[in-house]
Amino acid sequence: MKFSENGLYIERYVKCANCGVLIYEKDAKEKKTRDNQDFCSDWCVQWNRDRTTRNAAR
Amino acid sequence: MDMVAMSVLDSTMVSICREMGITLQKTSYSTIFNEALDFTCGLADKEGNLIAVADFCPAMIGGIPILVKSCLKEIDLDALREGDVILHNDPYRGGLHTPEHTFFKPIFLDGELQAWAVAIGHLTEVGGMTPGGFAGEATDIFQEGLRVPPIKIKNAGVDNLDIWKLLLANVRTPRTNYGDLRALIAAVDLGEHQMLAVLRKYGPQAVQTIVSDLLDYAERRMRAELQAIPDGIYSFEDLVESDGVTPDKTYRIAVEVHKQGGDIVIDYTGSAEQARGPINATLGVATSAAYNAVLHMTDPSIPRNSGCFRAIKVLAPPGTIVNVNFPAPSVGGNTETHPRIAGAILGAMAYAVPNRVMAAEGATHCNFVFGGVDAASGEYFACYDLEVVGWGGRAFADGNDAVDSINGNCRTTPVEVFETRFPWRVEQLAFDVDSGGAGEFRGGLGYSKQMVCLNDLITVSQMTDRHLCKPWGLNGGLEGGCGATLVQKAGSETWQTMPEAYGKISSSRYANVDILRGDRVKLTMPGGGGFGDPRQRARESVQRDLREGYISPESARTHYGYVEGQA
Repeated sequence: MKFSENGLYIERYVKCANCGVLIYEKDAKEKKTRDNQDFCSDWCVQWNRDRTTRNAAR
Repeated sequence: MDMVAMSVLDSTMVSICREMGITLQKTSYSTIFNEALDFTCGLADKEGNLIAVADFCPAMIGGIPILVKSCLKEIDLDALREGDVILHNDPYRGGLHTPEHTFFKPIFLDGELQAWAVAIGHLTEVGGMTPGGFAGEATDIFQEGLRVPPIKIKNAGVDNLDIWKLLLANVRTPRTNYGDLRALIAAVDLGEHQMLAVLRKYGPQAVQTIVSDLLDYAERRMRAELQAIPDGIYSFEDLVESDGVTPDKTYRIAVEVHKQGGDIVIDYTGSAEQARGPINATLGVATSAAYNAVLHMTDPSIPRNSGCFRAIKVLAPPGTIVNVNFPAPSVGGNTETHPRIAGAILGAMAYAVPNRVMAAEGATHCNFVFGGVDAASGEYFACYDLEVVGWGGRAFADGNDAVDSINGNCRTTPVEVFETRFPWRVEQLAFDVDSGGAGEFRGGLGYSKQMVCLNDLITVSQMTDRHLCKPWGLNGGLEGGCGATLVQKAGSETWQTMPEAYGKISSSRYANVDILRGDRVKLTMPGGGGFGDPRQRARESVQRDLREGYISPESARTHYGYVEGQA
């Protein structure tokens, strides 16, 4: 989630593409970007990849 | 780990939460608090982990961890002072929906932050497009009332009057809201006072150690429960029947439960894209629904705190009906979509633990809201009327009759209080025969409430469900009965649905209908689905149901194969 510099406006709600949690700007260093999607953790990147594989195999 | 000290502290903190709730109930102004008990009081550690809560509203209990942690990300902890009280209701920042107002009070000892007292309450009136807060036709958040990011309503024990003025100028019932907001603050004041006594008695370091042990203990207990459930991937789907805005469209809730050892991952991928109308759930709601479902099928004696939630991971894709993106509306997500999600998880787990789940419950709170100017007093009134449903049959018992949906744990307002506080006369309140789905264990019964308008004008809105999609049965049990809302205009003999009478898109979700003096409204609440083959039901149970008027002779014959005089 990205606030303006004066903190009075929210410019963007950033959510993990897999689990949906808000990713705050102060936690940006932990953010992972894969295929233009933001993820909160390596775990979510991997789950998202595994789900795609699993669904393709069905 | 000192089990005795841990048990004593756990019970003490739960008792504090209970006392906070009693204070809130006894000092509030509105029926949604002092009759319906639509609130929750808890304690969190300084990092925002839920450390204790009493038997309040499950939707809020499961929402507290995300709520508190989201707010802690935003507020300036260095500027926090003793006596501060923080208010928040923003659905996009950890909240559940705009009516749910959360108060946080920091608990300081010797200048050091130790914990938080937390009180969440559903305020009846929040401004927005309808009196009573549930705009069944809202298409954005701005129609759902005033949105409050984390702000200080009290600074170092002193009211922030500018905030109070802003809050009370934007609602229809400022006097009632003032009383309810004060009651919520009284609850966190009491929580702070009592927790300080605990901290002084045992010392902050000891409390911190024991609380840490308590969270670990709850986690171990939960993981042990999950270990006993067969590993696998379990799926289920259910439908939300309408968004109140888009004609003839249903919305899919998809759940895939991955159970592996002592972990459980609940993945909502495949659920419908977020709706234009107000049925979307926030991330807090989707998470809370998962926690609620897991708590329903595990040992109820596990301490309810953030420790027991560590084993549960929730995946709620953004921009879907289970994780709404700004600025889409969400007021019905917390009351209607939550039980649909929790029910779908229980439906999935029926494949793994059939003895621990129930068939579908009514899964709605009715959410019949109304307001107007009282002809006698000249004062504006508003009400959130919560009605209750039948629960699903289980592998060992019939479903409960007429109790609040599984995410509420609330009560209905007694007819006497309802008639005293609001200009309606209740003409009938009775179980609906055959509304409980037939089964070896029958679904619980729903009921109907019929009332006549005693004011020149009452503006009504509603956000309910299960007018079209029946509560499903399990293991051969049959579906429960649907709900309905009917209107009979003064002087007419005809009962009509909201689409028939007022041209609304949906019979279950609508906004701002004018009900005039002498008009009648009948609210029918759904029953629960049945569990198991009805023909296996004990004959004495069928006879008792017939005798008590729970089922009709026709149902006894066709569903249960019961022949009069049969032994």
